Amino acid sequence: MRNVKIRYKNSILGVLWSLLNPLLYLLIFVVIFREVFDIANYPLFILSGLVFWTFFSGTSIQILNSVLDSGGILKSLSVPPIIFPLSYLLSSLVNLGLMLIPFFILMLFFGLQLSWNTLWLIPGIILLSLFTFGFSLIICALNVFFRDIGMFYNTILPAIFYVTPIAYPIEKVPASYQIFVKLNPLYHFIAFFRDVLYYNTLPSISTLLTTGALSGVFILAGIATFNSLKKGFISHL
Amino acid sequence: MEKDLLIDLRNVHFSFLLQNQSSIKQYLLSFGRKKLFLQKEVLRGIDLQVYRGESLGLFGKNGSGKSTLLRILAGIITPDKGKIKVYGRIAPILALGAGFEVELTGMENIRLLGSLIGMNRKEINNSIRYIKEFSELGDAIDMQVKRYSSGMMARLGFSIATAGNPDILIIDEALAVGDKGFQEKCKERMFEIKRNGGTLLFVSHSMEEVKKFCNRAILLSNGVIEKEGTVEEVGEDYLKLFT
Repeated sequence: MRNVKIRYKNSILGVLWSLLNPLLYLLIFVVIFREVFDIANYPLFILSGLVFWTFFSGTSIQILNSVLDSGGILKSLSVPPIIFPLSYLLSSLVNLGLMLIPFFILMLFFGLQLSWNTLWLIPGIILLSLFTFGFSLIICALNVFFRDIGMFYNTILPAIFYVTPIAYPIEKVPASYQIFVKLNPLYHFIAFFRDVLYYNTLPSISTLLTTGALSGVFILAGIATFNSLKKGFISHL
Repeated sequence: MEKDLLIDLRNVHFSFLLQNQSSIKQYLLSFGRKKLFLQKEVLRGIDLQVYRGESLGLFGKNGSGKSTLLRILAGIITPDKGKIKVYGRIAPILALGAGFEVELTGMENIRLLGSLIGMNRKEINNSIRYIKEFSELGDAIDMQVKRYSSGMMARLGFSIATAGNPDILIIDEALAVGDKGFQEKCKERMFEIKRNGGTLLFVSHSMEEVKKFCNRAILLSNGVIEKEGTVEEVGEDYLKLFT
């Protein structure tokens, strides 16, 4: 899609910025929480989740406002509105690809073992993209009508980061609360990447099935929500 | 000779989705008793035929559905009910520069809009030559649009809309901005498009303006065509609405 190029021609710096954010978090956690959680190879443990959290949070924030920000164009040209969220997804994927290079080097430095299992990263990224896109389409479409959604999402996003076991293993959560952690879709995706990168194994069958189902449900629900609400976009931009 | 049909609208209905409550909270508190969205009818059965070479003036109070009708014609929104056929290329509606990405430069906007409407590189480059020349923006074309004056935006908008000899040109009250010289140039260009067999859809509140370009006019009122006829007839009815 050509408009991706035009829109993000300034994003060479953008890639650097998106590196800075997870690096900062990495530093904080490694310096402060290493002792608290006492996990073998803690930097790699965090990194294996953090990179994909950054992808999810960054993409969803961008897509959230994509339709609102393109109001002028939508009002004057006959273009399908979905190209705006889609172009953000594509640019985020490119960004993730670029980001993975330095992070892979960093992970290798922290003792990442490469094997055939590592290739499971690719289906993992595809599933996470589908989930992220579906989820973002829902909040993006609703945000056109109810701006509270955007405010609300921006407020709770940091909280979502902390309730998702990214910087700590789920075993550290009291057993009676673990069920709630598992209700969070992101937990399963993080578990997927952690299996592949940190434990260097195949993702477990249950993780595979759960992430597959979540991706399918969210992408379908996202497209359905977006399509049924897009008719009203013009009058609310 | 049979007249060449350019626009054919039959019984077109369109309604907006309006939210019933101002926030999700109220909706949730009502436990589904209130509906989340309401329908508001904006167009209620529009029948309209426009033939090649004809030019049509649109009158109507604010909120009578003019812009919605134009957006239906441009394919930006699709009607709920009824049939719409448009034969030929419609120029993008860029009234008052509403369709620009203000963070991008004028030139980047041209390329973005061009690729969004599916032009290839060569077509875009041809348009750029025309747009640069017609808009007389000079170096300002490489400036971010957010730094444009409203006159400069109108120049860019009109130039983009009239690039590449569109079959149908929609002018939505855009002529009021821009200086005298540019207004004259725009009018000249509109006559030229007409001479080349193009059709003008002209929204204006000034009967004199409409009379210059159009041989026919319609009056929209509450989403229906209340009157159709010569510009004089329809214009008079329009003025009567305010007395």
